[in-house]
Order: sequence, then C-alpha cells, then structure tokens
Amino acid sequence: MAEQIPLDFEFRANKTFADFFPAANQEIVSHLQRCVAGTGEQQIFLWGYHGQGKSHLLQACCHEMQKRGLRSFYYDLLPKNLTDTDIFTGLDDCDLVCLDNIEHIAGKADWELAFFNFFNRQRDLDRKLILSAASLPAHINLCLPDLKTRINWGLTLKLQPFSDPEQIAALIFKADKMGFDLSTSAGHFLLTHYHRDLESLWALLDTLDRASLIAKRKLTLPFLKQILNNQTELD
Amino acid sequence: MNSIWDNCLAKLENEISSSDFSTWIRPLQAVVDDKHIKLLAPNRFVLDWVKEHYLTKIEMAIRQFASNEQTLKLEIGSRRSVPVVLDKIQNLAQTLQNKPNFLNKAFTFENFVEGKSNQLAKAAAIQVTENIGKSYNPLLIYGSSGLGKTHMMHAMGNAILQKNPSATIIYLNSEKFVQDMVRALQQNSFSNFKDYYRDVDVLLIDDIQFFAGKERSQEEFFHTFNTLLEKKHQIVLTSDKYPKEISGIEDRLKSRFGWGLPVSIEPPDMETRAAILMKKASVANIKLPQEVAFLIAKKIPSNVRELEGALRRVIANAQFTGREITVEFTKEALHDLLSLQDKLVNITNIQKTVAEYFKIRVADLSSKSREQVITRPRQIAMCLARELTSLSLMEIGSAFGGRDHTTIINACKRISELKNSNIKIAEDYSNLLRTLTH
Repeated sequence: MAEQIPLDFEFRANKTFADFFPAANQEIVSHLQRCVAGTGEQQIFLWGYHGQGKSHLLQACCHEMQKRGLRSFYYDLLPKNLTDTDIFTGLDDCDLVCLDNIEHIAGKADWELAFFNFFNRQRDLDRKLILSAASLPAHINLCLPDLKTRINWGLTLKLQPFSDPEQIAALIFKADKMGFDLSTSAGHFLLTHYHRDLESLWALLDTLDRASLIAKRKLTLPFLKQILNNQTELD
Repeated sequence: MNSIWDNCLAKLENEISSSDFSTWIRPLQAVVDDKHIKLLAPNRFVLDWVKEHYLTKIEMAIRQFASNEQTLKLEIGSRRSVPVVLDKIQNLAQTLQNKPNFLNKAFTFENFVEGKSNQLAKAAAIQVTENIGKSYNPLLIYGSSGLGKTHMMHAMGNAILQKNPSATIIYLNSEKFVQDMVRALQQNSFSNFKDYYRDVDVLLIDDIQFFAGKERSQEEFFHTFNTLLEKKHQIVLTSDKYPKEISGIEDRLKSRFGWGLPVSIEPPDMETRAAILMKKASVANIKLPQEVAFLIAKKIPSNVRELEGALRRVIANAQFTGREITVEFTKEALHDLLSLQDKLVNITNIQKTVAEYFKIRVADLSSKSREQVITRPRQIAMCLARELTSLSLMEIGSAFGGRDHTTIINACKRISELKNSNIKIAEDYSNLLRTLTH
C-alpha cells in the first residue's frame, strides 16, 4: 500500500496560554494574564532554565494583546540577534514589550545603555514590560548598576521545573493539541530515552506525528520504538 | 475594514514561526481604506526586516483577502495619537504653555520614607520647594542606584506644582536631553530646543552621569544651566556619584554642579527598610505584619527597588493563594530569592543544581551510564565541584559513584577544552557557576 504523504505543514505550536501546560506554574500564567489584561503588574521578570516554556509564555502574552487589538513586540536577545540597538527605537508606542533571554546583553555596554533608556521611557509611559532570563535578575552580570536595580523592581517569578509525571502529562497534552493520542507508557519511554527539555520533546512529537501520518498507524509503544530506531539509524 | 488584516494575520500565523511572527508581524498595525492597506512598523529595523523577509508572504495574504484596488504600503508609524514630543513642536508659544512635565504623581514627599540615610536630602529638597531658585541652586542629590533619588525629584516637582500650579517644570533623564538635542540638530530646530529648556521655572535632570563622554551635550547643558541660574530658576540634579568623581564630565560643569548643595542619599538602615516596606504595602492596601517587614528587610539589604520587588512577590503570591501574609508564608513565597542568598556551595548542591539544569536525575550523575546526555553534565558537575569546593579529587570521585581521581582530572581537562571550542558548553558552565555562587 502506498504511503500517505503528509501535507507540507510543520506543526506551528501556537504559543498561546491555551497551548501551555502549566503544571506547577499556574500562578505564573495567572500573573501574566492579569498583566496583559491591565489588572496586574506592569513589569514581570520570568526566569527558569532553558526549555521550560519562557518563550512560549512571552509569545502567549503577545497573542493576548493582539486579541485585544493592542500593539505588542517580542524580541529574543540571543547573541545572534544583538545586531542593532535601534531595535528599541519607536517601541514606546507598544502597549507590551517582551524581551526574551535578557541575560545576553550583560557586559555589552551599548546594549545595556539602549535597554536602560528604553526601560525608563517604557516605565514613564506606564507601558508593560515582560522580561525573561535563565537566572534571577540579581545574578545577571550587568555593568550598569542603574539597570540592575531596575530589573529587580518588578514581580520576579521562577518557572518551576516539571516532575516526571508532570512532564509525561505535558507530552500527552501537547500530543492531544496536535491531534494524536500518546499513551502514558509512550510518554514515559520518551522521557527516559531522550532529552528531557520541553523544546527537544516537542520536536520529537513533530517527528512522531509525521511518521504516524505517513504509516497511517496509531502511536503504540512498539511503533514508537520502531520510528525512533529508524531515526537513530538515519542520524 | 481591519478584518482584512485580521484574516491575513490568521493566515500568516500558520506560515511563520511563532517567535518570528511575534517579533516581525504582530507589531505591524494596519490602516485600511478603499485604496490602500497601510502597514505601520514601530521602527526602521522592523520595517527593513519585514520588507526583506516577509513582503512576498504578506502580499500573497493580502491578495487573498483584499480587493484588487487596494494596494499595500509599508511605513514606520503608529495608529496611536503621538504624545507631545520636542520634534513635533511647530508653534513654540503654544508648546511652552502646554509643556509636558513628565512628573509621576505617585511619587510624593508623603510616601517618601524618611530615615537617617536620607534625612538631610529630604530636608534640603523640601526647603528648595519652598524657596524656588533661592535656597540651594542647583540642588544635587547623589547616591547609588535604587535609593530613592528619582522619587525625591518627582516629589519636589509635585510639591512645587501643588503650591504653584502655573509653574513650568520639566523632569527628564539626561539621556532624553541628549536625544532631544540630537533630534533638534537633525531637524534644524535647535533654537526651539534651547528655548524649550531655558524657559522653565524648574528643571529636574536625573542621572547626570550619563552626560559622560558626550561633549556637545555637555556644552549645551552648560549654557542651559547658566541661563537658568542667571534667571534664578531652580535646577535639581541627581547623580550616582559625588560630582567631582564623575568621569567624562568637563571640569567647568562639575564645578558648577557643586555650586549649590550636593547632598547624599545613603543605603537605608534595617529599620528604614522595614518602614519602607510597611509604607509600600499600605499604599497597596495590604496589611503587612511588622515581623514580616523585618524579615524581608533583614534578608535584602541592598536597595529599595529590590525590596519593592520582594514585596511584590509576597503580595502577588498571597493574592493568588488567598493565604494570610505571615513569616512562614513569606519565607515560602521568597524561597527562591532568600535561599539563594543563604546557600552554601557543597557537592550535594552542585549535583542537584546540575541535574535540574540538564533535566536528568541526580542519581544519573553517579551512575555508570556512558550516554552523552549523562556524561557531559557529569563532567561539568565534577569540574564545578573541583572549582567551588575544597574537596580532594578522591572525595569528589567518591561522590560520583566511586570513580577514581584520574576520572575527575580528565573531566576537568575535557570541560576546559570544550569551554573554548563550544559556546553552548561555555554558556551552560557559566550559567551554573552563576547560579551556584550568587
């Protein structure tokens, strides 16, 4: 029988609050939702290790603002994106600005100063600002002391890492959003045999979804092992 | 009409990664009429990027939902009405009457908590508001960041306005002065710029240390300063250092900064920190027990902004959980902040932190597994243990499943090589080091 060719459609994980599995982070979701609704904090600093959903939450906030007809801007401050400090120009007009991986500007005097000036304007205009980093604000080695105290000012929240059962539940939740069933035993298998950070696991779900569509088979544990074995051989 | 753009957004959202969509497409605002679909980008950077990377996709989406008569235009702009800023000034006389003062009404003397550390500065500030231009001119308030200098400046402006609502006051950061000057030079409106700042009753300039190294701005500020002083109009400045210690500022300007009264604000003592917390809580209508205020004040000695951040965390957590704010509750709510401050660096802690960071089990670090997802974190943990503890190589080896000392030496050597050749590992190592040592 001919294999069914799936549409050339990569799963665009809609980074919305509805697509986020909160587990122990329900409080964080609630504060972010209140912030974008204009009934909560003006400044939130979100921190946690890589792959716990910080970028997802920041983009979910932008999605909410769009739904409300308000202007938002998201920027990932990874080293490859630190090309031009002019990125901060004109953002005073945005009701919400989300800056991801803020720790990467530490030690870069021009970026620290540009962000400091932007921060002051944003605060004076009472606009919302959500920042994220891999560590507490106090642990970011900023050279500008004025900036260091400012990022400590708002509400600082730590994303709690998932326990194993929560991580399996998150995988099942995500698979469901993608339109396929994943059993607890399959989730457990993925967790014990592959990278445990959420980003890698989501990518793995994409692979499984595609393979299951091509083979028109349900994702049973033996089939899952077969797909992943094939993939390892290909790698 | 905007539904055309809403439809385009829904289509584009499925074609562009979520991160890129939030950065480049979401901030675009559409202005739609019968002839045009104008997309407004917040700045040149976004505009250029969109034109280069997404124009075709946007055009295709628009063709799907718009009529054939409607053409696409991309430019920098905003649908929001533009606030009064200097570069928009056309009619000077009108603008001078409506000068925005940029004062934050929330900062007043009433909610400024006085302690030994800021008593003198507050007394001087109040005296200045009662005798504008006559008592201390300029008044320069200096001290480290996050101790209340900006609060005091706004409080002065607000107090002066309360007594004399027609007074023209401007509060600004020195950086804004520089930006306005650059813009005025670009737009040939320099005389407007000069008149704007030289014709105020009170000029409040925050963070003058940022004038450092900007010679043209210093020159202009020097003349503004002299003009205001000659007219006996009030100048208030803040700085993070005593004027003479600011490097990159011309001597003639430094000496003028010291003409009036330089007065310092020191870090608040514990009682003042507790009082600040109680005051801020009461403004937020929260009853903060005194012992809780002292607990936070004791744990966070650094600055007022950090205190405020901790208080926000406690209040937010209490509101979410509906629990009463007690000492126990506060310790729990601030667990991440406080435990990190008290933390001891030991091998158990290193293993726990590394395991959590790499999302593996602590037991994996001592296991026999040779999978790279386990061996690399294990080597990093060994290397951190060698760097941060005084344990012997044998003791470290024993804590990692009874390995011998050569394994530890090899692990350290390997990580040291990888830190130079692999940015990701260098970054992981520095993140872990930072988490463990701060």
